[in-house]
Amino acid sequence: MHPSKGALTHMALLEIKNLHVALEDGPEIVKGVDLAVDLNEKHAIMGPNGSGKSTLAYALMGHPAYEITEGQILLDGEDVTELGADERAQRGLFLAFQYPHAIPGVTVTSFLRSAINAIRKARAGEDDPIPIPEFRTALLAAMEDLKVPRELASRYLNDGFSGGEKKRVEILQMALLKPRIAVLDETDSGLDIDALRIVANGVNALVGPETGALVITHYQRILNYVTPDFVHVFVDGRIVAEGGPELAHRLEAEGYEAFTPATVGGDA
Amino acid sequence: MSTHETEVVRGIRSDYEYGWADSEQDYFFKSSRGLSHELIDAISDHKSEPDWMRQFRHKSLDYFLARPMPSWGADLSGIDFDNIYYYIKPTEKQASSWEELPSEIKDTWDKLGIPEAEKKYLAGVGAQYESEVVYHKLQADLEAKGVIFLDMDSALREHEDLVKQHMGTIIPQNDNKFAALNSAVWSGGSFIYVPPGVRVEMPLQAYFRINAENMGQFERTLIIVDEDAYVHYVEGCFCAGSTVRVRDGEKPIEEVAVGDEVLTHEGRFRRVRDTMSRRFEGPIFRIAFAGESYRSLAVTPRHPFLVATRKRARDHNTTFEPEWKEAWELRMGDYLAVPASIDLEGEAPSHWGDDVLVGSGARTAVAERVEVALTPGMCRVMGLYVAEGSVSANTSYLSFDSATHEQHLRDLVTDVLDESFGLEPWLHSYDGRAGRSLRYSSVRAARFFEQTFGRTTDELRVPDWLFGLGATERAAFVRGLYDGEGSYDSVLNLHRINQTNREVAQRLRELLLSLGIRASLSRTDRPAPRRPMWQLAICEADNPLFEKLVLDYWSVAPGPRKADVVLADGYLWMPIRSIEKVQANCTVYNLSVEEDESYVCEGVVSHNCTAPIYSSDSLHSAVVEIIVKKGGRHRYTTIQNWSNNVYNLVTKRAVAYENATMEWVDGNLGSKVTMKYPAIWLMGEGAHGEVLSIAFGGKGQHQDAGGKVVHVAPRTTSVITSKSISKDGGRAGYRGLLEVAKGAVGSKSKVVCDALILDDESRSDTYPYIQVDENDVDLGHEATVSKIGEEQLFYLMSRGLSEAEASAMIVSGFVEPITKELPLEYAVEMNRLIQLQMEGSVG
Repeated sequence: MHPSKGALTHMALLEIKNLHVALEDGPEIVKGVDLAVDLNEKHAIMGPNGSGKSTLAYALMGHPAYEITEGQILLDGEDVTELGADERAQRGLFLAFQYPHAIPGVTVTSFLRSAINAIRKARAGEDDPIPIPEFRTALLAAMEDLKVPRELASRYLNDGFSGGEKKRVEILQMALLKPRIAVLDETDSGLDIDALRIVANGVNALVGPETGALVITHYQRILNYVTPDFVHVFVDGRIVAEGGPELAHRLEAEGYEAFTPATVGGDA
Repeated sequence: MSTHETEVVRGIRSDYEYGWADSEQDYFFKSSRGLSHELIDAISDHKSEPDWMRQFRHKSLDYFLARPMPSWGADLSGIDFDNIYYYIKPTEKQASSWEELPSEIKDTWDKLGIPEAEKKYLAGVGAQYESEVVYHKLQADLEAKGVIFLDMDSALREHEDLVKQHMGTIIPQNDNKFAALNSAVWSGGSFIYVPPGVRVEMPLQAYFRINAENMGQFERTLIIVDEDAYVHYVEGCFCAGSTVRVRDGEKPIEEVAVGDEVLTHEGRFRRVRDTMSRRFEGPIFRIAFAGESYRSLAVTPRHPFLVATRKRARDHNTTFEPEWKEAWELRMGDYLAVPASIDLEGEAPSHWGDDVLVGSGARTAVAERVEVALTPGMCRVMGLYVAEGSVSANTSYLSFDSATHEQHLRDLVTDVLDESFGLEPWLHSYDGRAGRSLRYSSVRAARFFEQTFGRTTDELRVPDWLFGLGATERAAFVRGLYDGEGSYDSVLNLHRINQTNREVAQRLRELLLSLGIRASLSRTDRPAPRRPMWQLAICEADNPLFEKLVLDYWSVAPGPRKADVVLADGYLWMPIRSIEKVQANCTVYNLSVEEDESYVCEGVVSHNCTAPIYSSDSLHSAVVEIIVKKGGRHRYTTIQNWSNNVYNLVTKRAVAYENATMEWVDGNLGSKVTMKYPAIWLMGEGAHGEVLSIAFGGKGQHQDAGGKVVHVAPRTTSVITSKSISKDGGRAGYRGLLEVAKGAVGSKSKVVCDALILDDESRSDTYPYIQVDENDVDLGHEATVSKIGEEQLFYLMSRGLSEAEASAMIVSGFVEPITKELPLEYAVEMNRLIQLQMEGSVG
């Protein structure tokens, strides 16, 4: 049921409530996360390796191997916890992968057109393919903006791409699919400074009245280019500290040790 | 210079939209089933062949009979050689110009989307139309270049020396059992000769198909590409208004949509997978049959029906052996069929419920669940509602009319509605009219009955869940209708039920049939504005059953009259009363139905005329021989999508001489069993051979595909690329032989076979045989087996693609190395076929 129109509390576009995630028949990795991301907001989740950041990202997108054992994910007020990845994507959720998969034999162009058409079909309730000229114009403009070489468009998706090419193509997908909530999982890792700047510009260009973003990262580096409105420090499956952009600087200065659950009053 | 050819074999399943469901064809010559030396003589006589060819055929038949069935590879035990037509010749005369070509063939090419410009440039067009090429055209400029492109029979007449010199030299008649069979009974196929140095840029095309049930295709193709030459070769219902039985009613066939559920010959509902329509000009058969005298079928001649043949004209049948027969084969007295009962496959409601909006006027309507127990009493009241019930226009009142003396009916209704709805009626009498009406002031009850059975005469309906009820409850429903609208004529000993709604009368007839009671339905027109009356008459022979099951009293012995219609083996058999052939120019329609490929239209079972009929399997056993001389280049492409009852056993072999190139591109999607291993013998120094093979094994399919390359001469090169995909328990694999003979020094070969398995039930086999008798060679072999990865699927689904779309995309990518070699429209077709194969298969 939708909440009544007159509800007093504002509901963010993406609301994560007490989320617990475990690998199938495995240990719990995300141990109770509450987070709200709204349109026009940039959030950063920062945490050390192995803290469960990527697990959180996969669970948000609906990876079948990650089991949500407790809690809820609400997108625009709708409980999407039980929905498949395709249905979440059709509702405007996007995940930029840390390690995007190769699809041999499928060109970037034909993949992008299929993805756009799948989302258009879900929204229109019937086939509503994007006209080819419109698609081409949008594709070429986005490639220009993101400095993606033209020849990449006719190569097989992520097949033999360098790390930097994969990340740029993730951002290219994000730019063309126009999600309402974009989750970026370690998109900055392995990028040189120029690529990092391009990726960051892509995020900055996207976030606005139509879109909010959640940037998951290990380093503070990308936050020099994407200034977050909110920073969440993520250690051992939990958010242990929250604040504004200054928190990222403190992290850089003090390291994650200062934020281990023990130091912030947890009893782990 | 080189040759290039593409063969596109389209399965019957997907053929209709290309206009293959032609119908106006009268067979000119059709051999009897089975193989014999007499058959060989008949074929040879019919074709006026030279004696050497006759002897070639006879000797081949001896080889065929002497050879055992192959014991390796796929299971071929389902082939019944005695039950196959080996030779059918459709038309007497070959067309020699585009204008003379039957319009349906021209339409087919149009529907395939071959652009006008390309058609114009098509070097020649040969159509394998049943066993015979009926048309071919050679463009003047090609003719001037000396290119010969003929059907094989004409080639034998006009270029006997060339045919005699080459036929069977590449694939000897005793090469294997199926090559021997083809050599014995071959018919049709193509002959191409490209003289030295000639380049043919545009593809030559011919389209193959198996049309008649049980008819094998034994085409013979012989291609000779002379030195430095190049060529590209591409091998290539019902009238509107007919009503189809769909779930909960009937629909004109032109309004049936994909996803609708239709009643099939199995007596169950299956979804419509595809609808087809086309313009039709030609004879239409109008067929009237007993049992539903008001109906008359209007169908194209080639539309198949479920039929039991009248054994002798004067006899009535005692046994009914169902078979599928086309309209043109039907005779007066043959029996058409309709399933005697409808199987709802486990839906056995004990209650029926619906959400009804309750509340009106100033109050806001609220949806309320109303559910009633389907007791015999309730079922009888429901029947009575359809006959004599009514709901007021504002849905405030529910009424049941009855004659003054029918107090027992009023008591029944009162009890049942008290029990189910807790309602009390009042008795209403009409001014100036006899009879009494029980009235209930209840929006709940009124809307419940309205939503379930309709309100006005036009809307009235009998929902199909009734067929899931027990016999007692079904009989009770019929009883209620009979209470209201039935009558008994004691002079004729005839029970009748009159209805003004045709569909209600039809459903009633079906309900009676499901109880084993036969009834005939006829139409009586009445002066306007009165509606026609539909009169259901119980067969006199079934009166005792009707009286016992429905009316609940024991009857005396059955009536003396014999029934026209017969209930046997789960069908009602209705003899054909008349057949009329009329000329028509109209749009005709057909349906493709999941699983059963049949549907009940105009009250009888008919088959999707584009789909295989499963009573027996067909055999396609072709032979293709290709000779590529010095420096020539040739590519032969096949995309076959035979229907799923075809055994596709084809022998393809080419020889390539010095510096010649031969390429086979072979896509196998349809068929029940395919065994096909295109071979290349590299006979001259520097020759190059390539085999690109795709095998897609779906449910019930076994694709045993592959390739064979023999390096005989030095410095020859070859590449074999095989991609096999299996899903839904299907088998697809690679069986290959790479042989390097002594002396083939400096030869190079690479074999890559990749398998993609889509689920745990499916299977992929790889049998890469390699035999090398020379040391100085460079061979590579790679084989991969993969499953569609969860991570790949998740990645694509995270972009909004459904699981089926994501899987189809991965499969299309997997076979891309081969599809990119296809001409564009065939690549598009290939991807479309893959999508069709993938739909609904994942999850």
